[in-house]
Amino acid sequence: MSKTRCLILLLGFMSGWSAARAQDVVLVANKGVQISAISPADLRAIFLGAKTRFADGFHALPVVLRGGPAQEVFLKNYLGESPQEFRLRWQKAVFTGQGAMPKTCDSEAALIEYVAATPGAIGYVSRISPQDNVKTLVPYK
Amino acid sequence: MPRRMSLFLLVCIWTGTLYAQDLSGIQIHGFVTQGFLFSSHNNYLTMQSTSGSLQWTDGAASFSDPLTNNLRVGIQLHMYQLGELGGPNVQVDWASGDYKVNDYFGFRAGKVKTALGLFNDSQDVDAIFLWILLPQSVYPADNKSFLLAHLGGEVYGELPLGDRGGKLLYRGFAGESILDSNGGYVQQLAEDGLTFATPPQGKTYGGDLRWQAPLRGLTVGASAVVQALSGTASVGTLQIPSLLVTSPYAQFERGKFYVAGEYRRTPANAVLAIGPEVIPLPEDQRSWFVMGSYRITERFQAGSYYSHYVNKALDTALPANYSKDWVVSGRYDFNSYFYGKIEGHFLHGTGLGYYESTNPNGLRPNSNMLAAKIGFTF
Repeated sequence: MSKTRCLILLLGFMSGWSAARAQDVVLVANKGVQISAISPADLRAIFLGAKTRFADGFHALPVVLRGGPAQEVFLKNYLGESPQEFRLRWQKAVFTGQGAMPKTCDSEAALIEYVAATPGAIGYVSRISPQDNVKTLVPYK
Repeated sequence: MPRRMSLFLLVCIWTGTLYAQDLSGIQIHGFVTQGFLFSSHNNYLTMQSTSGSLQWTDGAASFSDPLTNNLRVGIQLHMYQLGELGGPNVQVDWASGDYKVNDYFGFRAGKVKTALGLFNDSQDVDAIFLWILLPQSVYPADNKSFLLAHLGGEVYGELPLGDRGGKLLYRGFAGESILDSNGGYVQQLAEDGLTFATPPQGKTYGGDLRWQAPLRGLTVGASAVVQALSGTASVGTLQIPSLLVTSPYAQFERGKFYVAGEYRRTPANAVLAIGPEVIPLPEDQRSWFVMGSYRITERFQAGSYYSHYVNKALDTALPANYSKDWVVSGRYDFNSYFYGKIEGHFLHGTGLGYYESTNPNGLRPNSNMLAAKIGFTF
């Protein structure tokens, strides 16, 4: 097999792996959060700043990734927004004094670490990321 | 100007290393923009736009700290230069404490942005808009400070109307608003012979009620603001008894599409007294716009709007009493922090945005304009 063919196969494998990875995210929350499932409406409201509490009344603190496939999949599948739309929405809240941006993490490991240490924190990671020390939330219709 | 441009470009080059700062909970955000305006006739918004003007710079820095789960404090500092308006002085755009009791009720106190129509409280945040100039009939760039913010407080919240009813968002406020001493109204009053040591101010109260319909993306609402204004200059006075500004509006956004429209009525009976002379300035401003945009790619968005203004209290056949503007716009986001915009205006009438000081030889009734802007935000 030539080097070029090997390179093409490797790139194909990597892009396929990346695509598969991007198809799925897991909702994670601090272990102190009482609920184990969350509605799409509540999830959207919490991440867009319209709601500050879970259905059980516990304070909710959304955490987002700075970028990457998991971020794009989460915004598209759960909030119905592109990264650009999400950013503009929060910029409007910030620059008019009506809200503060969600905590932003540079990596999934950092997000897991923050969620594990912060009461009420809720975030998302790709399914292949380790989810130690946090609980996973199931989205329901 | 070259120094200002160099500084702006330097800031833009740093986009790879600058993030919104979060220092143990304190969030720091900001934006800087630099605009350019060229007009075929008439100098617009106090710029020497017929020669092409770069005298259009805007910047803000915002600091916010969530002290508890319910309490957040913050301040935003703002500086702008728009032709002869604004200047190097930094203003407090808003500064408030915000206590959210629950999702249904909260309140803010301090200097807070005034809720009026679709864009009043966000009109000076260039980064969130496709447009370089918002429809000037409703959101005049030279006079935006008049209703932009007030010293006082507001209550806010939302009321869910069930799965099939959507939800109601409300805001109610009261306080005192002060004219921008470097803004357009003060400039116009100076051209009339009234120079104020302290800018005119007055009490204001009002509210905004908007319904987020169960049809996702559809918002319908209305605002009402009562505003009075008075000021004393060395040679005279300005008095505007309480006036009621009303503004119904609607917007719909779905995926890449966005459409919106707003109507505003501003009836005012201003009275200028200069020495023994008393000059009534009747106004019955009827303004509206419709706009639409489409995101062609993730980075590129294009759109158009029509903006209409007429002063019904005067002869509406005269160009000085109306302004009708057809606009086409495009915006390109180079990355998350840096964007560019370009916009064409086909303007009929001279009722808005023109000043004697920059048009000493009079005005032509029509003018076309090209505007461009680059901006950086984090």
